[in-house]
Amino acid sequence: MAHAFSELIIGGVLLAPFVTYLVMTLVVIIVLRPLLHVVGFAKMFSHPSIAELSLCVAILGLLVLLF
Amino acid sequence: MVATTAEQPFTVAMIPVSSWGFAIRVWLAIVLALFVSFWLQLESPTTAALTIFVLAEPTRGQAWDKAGFRLLATVIGVTASIAITGLFAQTRELILAAFAVWLGICVFAAKLLDGYRAYAAVLSGYTVGFIATQQIDNPLHVFESGMARGAGIAVGIVSIALVNTLIFAPDDRPRLVAHLAALHRRVREYAGAALRREPGSSTTFLSLLQEIVALRPAIASVALESSSGSVTSAAARSAAVALVAELQAARTKPDPEGEASEWAARDLLRRDEEVRQDLVALRSARWPLRIWRAPLHRSYRMAAESGIRAAAWFAIASTFYICAGWPATSVSLSFVALIAALGATTPNPRAFTAIALIGTPIATVLTGILEFIILDGADAFPLLAIALAPFAIGSALLMTSKNLLWSSLGRVNLPFTLLILSPSNPQTYNPQAFLNTSLFIAVAASLLLALQILIPPVSGDKRRGWLLAAARSDLQQRVRPNGEAREEAAFRDASRIEQFLAAGGAQDGRALAELLSCFDQMAMLRLCDAKLMQFTDGPLAPLAGEARAAIAKLDPASLRAIAHKFRVQAPQKDSIEADVAACLVLTSDIVERGSGVDSQRKAA
Repeated sequence: MAHAFSELIIGGVLLAPFVTYLVMTLVVIIVLRPLLHVVGFAKMFSHPSIAELSLCVAILGLLVLLF
Repeated sequence: MVATTAEQPFTVAMIPVSSWGFAIRVWLAIVLALFVSFWLQLESPTTAALTIFVLAEPTRGQAWDKAGFRLLATVIGVTASIAITGLFAQTRELILAAFAVWLGICVFAAKLLDGYRAYAAVLSGYTVGFIATQQIDNPLHVFESGMARGAGIAVGIVSIALVNTLIFAPDDRPRLVAHLAALHRRVREYAGAALRREPGSSTTFLSLLQEIVALRPAIASVALESSSGSVTSAAARSAAVALVAELQAARTKPDPEGEASEWAARDLLRRDEEVRQDLVALRSARWPLRIWRAPLHRSYRMAAESGIRAAAWFAIASTFYICAGWPATSVSLSFVALIAALGATTPNPRAFTAIALIGTPIATVLTGILEFIILDGADAFPLLAIALAPFAIGSALLMTSKNLLWSSLGRVNLPFTLLILSPSNPQTYNPQAFLNTSLFIAVAASLLLALQILIPPVSGDKRRGWLLAAARSDLQQRVRPNGEAREEAAFRDASRIEQFLAAGGAQDGRALAELLSCFDQMAMLRLCDAKLMQFTDGPLAPLAGEARAAIAKLDPASLRAIAHKFRVQAPQKDSIEADVAACLVLTSDIVERGSGVDSQRKAA
């Protein structure tokens, strides 16, 4: 089944669905950050920055897949 | 005890490996940004490449911080462009006048901020230059041009974020921790020397103060680095504020035989313990015990004068271009806005313009070699990527140089090369466009330099005068914003001293001595105020009231008399009453010393 992507329309300007997903990812990451700190996410990996990037990509992928 | 030796950085061709890493990251990010922009067929791939240059910061946190501000400022700038163009679509002169005012407002805001916030303020200003001014004859394209710029910037940000993450750009946190720990050690040494009453420690004090205050932007950037960034940032900020408080406590030299010396030593130890706790919190990424803000001294008068000057430079430059009647001068005018605005974030705007003027011919020659000798009609992307390597890496290496001239030339060279080359798909090899752009930049830089000689930027003397006047009036009025801790207020005073030194204050010995005396007096008076608050309702309340009145009059003799009364009331040596007595004695000493400085100034 094909996934239908809906465009966001602000004041007659069409925004690509990907932009919406990016913004949603950003919001999710901002909400998750305190939780990640409590869990000690940064201490679990040798390269926390890559782990966090991977988390962003995973969240973005999930959002695109599910919504 | 662990012995440490200064670690020699590993070098390649006499350049540290970290600089090579930085330069290669910049080049890779430029290539990636250009590739993605070409692939997405964006209208302005040059903006994406320029974004990389702007975000070329040595650490990941700094790049993220600046990226956020760049995006935000672009949104503000594009909105302002649309508003200005919409309001005055039919009248070019009014657009230019409105833009001059907007640029002035942005420079005003930049002068009240620091670090990347100041950059964001000037960026909102010159974005209007790049959008509204360049499209002045074509107002219907303002929105599209704004969108194209926004898309380019977004691609640039994503590219540098990816490259920085995957190629391990260093984190700011370890560097910040090491720096704060080293500062703590040096503050302790300074305190030790002050206790032993060794002479000549004023320069040490000033350099320590400068270094602590200069950490402020780095502390803000570390917040975006990782999931525990905000905790790290809060701990580092508290540590910096506590360090200033410890430094201030170390400066208060009581008479060694006097009664206040014991109290002063205890106060210093307490401050030292606070710094230690904050550093432990910073190392283990825990919230500090107290969360302090690090406020900045804001000089509205200086900001207003700088804003008015920037607006005047732009207004005169645009009048000149209108009178000259040359074609396509709107591009040159936008460069005037760019150089004037970026110059506002440097301590010396005229020197910045001069470096831009020196850098233009160098960048022109280098770009000419790149465009017409090396590339010379090539249309394959890999060739562009390889040909850009020596120029991008070379400029980025220059940027990391310790020599201010070399690093400024590197900073000017890279964006100008990208602007003049303006990579596009397909690449056009037009000698006329190349010469025009080079000429536009050179004319803009020389015109702005001429204007800055005609209407000079705010001088160091004036800035110092205003800072000193602000310190004096603070001492007289002592109004403290609601909810500001005295440590935060001391940090604000320290930032004023730092601004004073940045305006060439080290040469102005007498004014510096007065400013330092104001700093000491303010800190002690605040401490006394806080101590006296403990007696608001008790048998000693009338005495506390008397003490407050004596503080308001800055009267050392009555302060001493009141201190004596407090001491008589003290049940034991370490009671609150004895503390207040010691504090009042110290205050009277410092106020007396301060009035000595004041009378010297009046005699001079």
